[in-house]
Amino acid sequence: MESKVLDREEFRDQYDKWVKFVATNHHGANNRFNVDPAFTPLQKPLAEARVALVTSAGVHLSDQEPFHTATVAGDSSYRVIPNDVDFSTVRFAHTHYDTSSAEQDLNVVLPITRLAELVERGRVGAASPIHIGMMGFNPDPSAIADTTGPAVAAALTDADVDVAIFAPG
Amino acid sequence: MCHRSVGLVQGAVEAAGISTASVALRPEITLGTNVARAAYLRFPLGNPFGEPDQPAQHHRILEDLLVLLETATEPTVIELPYRWRRWEKWL
Repeated sequence: MESKVLDREEFRDQYDKWVKFVATNHHGANNRFNVDPAFTPLQKPLAEARVALVTSAGVHLSDQEPFHTATVAGDSSYRVIPNDVDFSTVRFAHTHYDTSSAEQDLNVVLPITRLAELVERGRVGAASPIHIGMMGFNPDPSAIADTTGPAVAAALTDADVDVAIFAPG
Repeated sequence: MCHRSVGLVQGAVEAAGISTASVALRPEITLGTNVARAAYLRFPLGNPFGEPDQPAQHHRILEDLLVLLETATEPTVIELPYRWRRWEKWL
């Protein structure tokens, strides 16, 4: 079995239903999407590229403020997770997915060990010194789109990142 | 909503000149949010790179994302053929 390319239009009804579901079930809900999505071709071979990881699984460090998971408004903030993080200091603040796999092995949501192995094998050039933790439960994603997105982009640009790999919670 | 939050930040990072790819477990949300590159997996929420302590599985998925980064020439979302707890047959 091969990978197949998905057509956005085929999922349109399902997406519209989901948007309606969120609007019905969450006070103050709103919707945003990338109107004209950017596309940046790889600027250099992966073997020379610096790679960062971004997760919305509520990953933060024990000495950082946990994400607010109880509020209806969600939490649009983000945390910087150093590449050399001690895994025992990682916490998960998220109430909308089962965190047990992530608690057992951080690599399930933030594959820092795997990235180090890819660097060792020469598949990618380097690991970014920083990765990004967010908490994805945001019924109104306006702040995510208008503030968090540009701030994360600036942080990764400052870290000379060429490639970023994202994963949801 | 995780997928929408990821997709919106992914869009901003891509717009800043950084090439991006994401895992999607809810393809309709990722497609609707409109991102540069994503790979849909029929895995449960909370397991975007697979099962705990299965490095070969994590690497398989990461490699698929890297190949997508190397080959896509326009916004592309693909579906990967792996199935939860039956991934061994694809390695």
